[in-house]
Amino acid sequence: MDISFLIQLLLNGLVIGVIYALIAMGLSLIFGVLEIVNFAHGEFYMLGAVAAYFLTTNLSIGYWPTIALVTVGAAAVGYILYELLLSSLRGEGFERSILLTLGLSMVLQNGAVFLFTTTPKMMLSPLTYSNVIMGDVRMPVLRLFALGLGIAAFIALYLILYRTQVGKAMRGVSQNREAAMMVGIDPRAVSRLAVAIGIGLSGLAGAALAPIYAVHPLMGFSFVFKAFAIIIIGGLGNVSGAAIAAIALGVLESLIGGFLPTVMVDGLAFTAMILILLIRPQGLFGRGVRV
Amino acid sequence: MNNPLMSGRMRATLVVVGLVLLFAVPSFTRNEYVLALGVSFATFAVLSGGLNLVYGYAGLLSFAQVGFFGVGAYAAALLVTDANWPVWAGALAGAVLAALMGLGVGYSSLRLSRHAFAIVTLSFALLCMIVSRDWVSLTRGAMGIPGLAVPQFSFPGGLSWRLNKPADFYYLLLGLAVACQAVIYAVVTSRIGRALKAVKMNEPLAQSQGINPLRYKLMAVTLSAFMTGLMGGFFVFYLTIVDPSIFDFYYTETMLIMVILGGAGSFWGVLFSSAILTLLPDMLRFTTDLRMVLYGFILILAMLVFPGGIGGWFERRRIERWRKVPYGGRGTP
Repeated sequence: MDISFLIQLLLNGLVIGVIYALIAMGLSLIFGVLEIVNFAHGEFYMLGAVAAYFLTTNLSIGYWPTIALVTVGAAAVGYILYELLLSSLRGEGFERSILLTLGLSMVLQNGAVFLFTTTPKMMLSPLTYSNVIMGDVRMPVLRLFALGLGIAAFIALYLILYRTQVGKAMRGVSQNREAAMMVGIDPRAVSRLAVAIGIGLSGLAGAALAPIYAVHPLMGFSFVFKAFAIIIIGGLGNVSGAAIAAIALGVLESLIGGFLPTVMVDGLAFTAMILILLIRPQGLFGRGVRV
Repeated sequence: MNNPLMSGRMRATLVVVGLVLLFAVPSFTRNEYVLALGVSFATFAVLSGGLNLVYGYAGLLSFAQVGFFGVGAYAAALLVTDANWPVWAGALAGAVLAALMGLGVGYSSLRLSRHAFAIVTLSFALLCMIVSRDWVSLTRGAMGIPGLAVPQFSFPGGLSWRLNKPADFYYLLLGLAVACQAVIYAVVTSRIGRALKAVKMNEPLAQSQGINPLRYKLMAVTLSAFMTGLMGGFFVFYLTIVDPSIFDFYYTETMLIMVILGGAGSFWGVLFSSAILTLLPDMLRFTTDLRMVLYGFILILAMLVFPGGIGGWFERRRIERWRKVPYGGRGTP
């Protein structure tokens, strides 16, 4: 077998895996802290991509400022989302949170279809056609940027969770809400921050992928279901488990896609998830006792 | 199940009158648009009724209903087209297959939790769509199976019924819907329905009364899958084509809205909201995107301020009335 082909597949899989990880980590963080399954999570990824498209194409803003603007904007949207909708769900049922966020997803997705139509758009940037060439392996620069952004976001999230007071509070709430309240942690403030970070990561993923894939209103929809599978495989509420499962899935999909029919690629995440649920229901890396 | 608005006798009369009127529609009008609305109502009434049985009564949020619907549709279409089965046998086989899948999905996930059930059913529906699109040698892929035969039912004694007019499908699907609703009504008003509600409200308590929660939940899921699959098996001949869009999430969203707006666990509420939500948006000529935006807003609002739906509102009023009655007019008991 051709080694450079294999390396190419591995690299591509790594990029996709890192993007999966950005979305799944946010989803897992929100689940860990709020016990809410956010069905609308993929729509924020889509909105991030659409926003990036408009910022670069219509307002001619550069690549890096666009990424920063979209990420900050998404985090702000997350903050508002928590205050407007999610805060009223505290202590409420699992099904209710799913239905509420599903409603939000329907509004955002179909609203975007109505305003933006389903025609895929390509976001062009001066870097679109630049490649880094190492021997036989060709890597578009924008993919490398996406990979770098994902890794940077992962490190930042790790530092927040494990090196700051507020991160400690977040882990505390997700381990034991009552005990966290007893030692004076305000679960509202922590939840707000968790949603802002989660949605921010999702927006970042959208902005980073916009120049690589076509931008269209249905892009978040298929993504979010894969992200559900990832967080189940990694263990609900376990952020590092989600990251590992996401990267593994991205790489496996890419490798399988290189050699086997596509049905295996799209079905992989769901089949793996059902198997995990049957064999090891707490997920590969344990249930949400660790963020 | 008592409705505060009317007595049982009045309701029975109303149901009979309503049914006679519904079945008389094709004698008054040949308007295909009216008949198409009727077919759509009959189909969605079964879909939302099946979901209501699982979510409203058993408390299990199922995203798999559209999967059962599509599995029934695909199985019937393939058996009739490729194996020359009669339509009724194909649809019945589709329903049995859907019921078996419901049993499998339910059994594998319900031993864990109702959270796992929600997520596994969602994956099941997505897997169905992927398989129908990519297993080309069986399902013919994204192009689907067009030009399905006109169904014909042969009865003993040489009689036969060929469904070549829109009114024929109207009668068939409406009749099927009435039969399914009757089964659902019989189940939810029986001991089984009360056991399901008890399990939903307090599972450990129900268990301590000798109710086996898993068995009742599986029964609800399987029965609902059977009816949904059966409806899919017949509906597909009305469409005359089956392709992967039969698994579209749109169906899931629509039946969820019907159940939530009508009130999960309320038989008449869900039936009523199915009628309203089939007729109203169509008459208002909304585009599909705008309709789904509207549905999304309804879902958000319902979850924030109106979680019991229409049925829940009546239920609350009924309980308030009970509370008000005796105690010799002396305040709290």
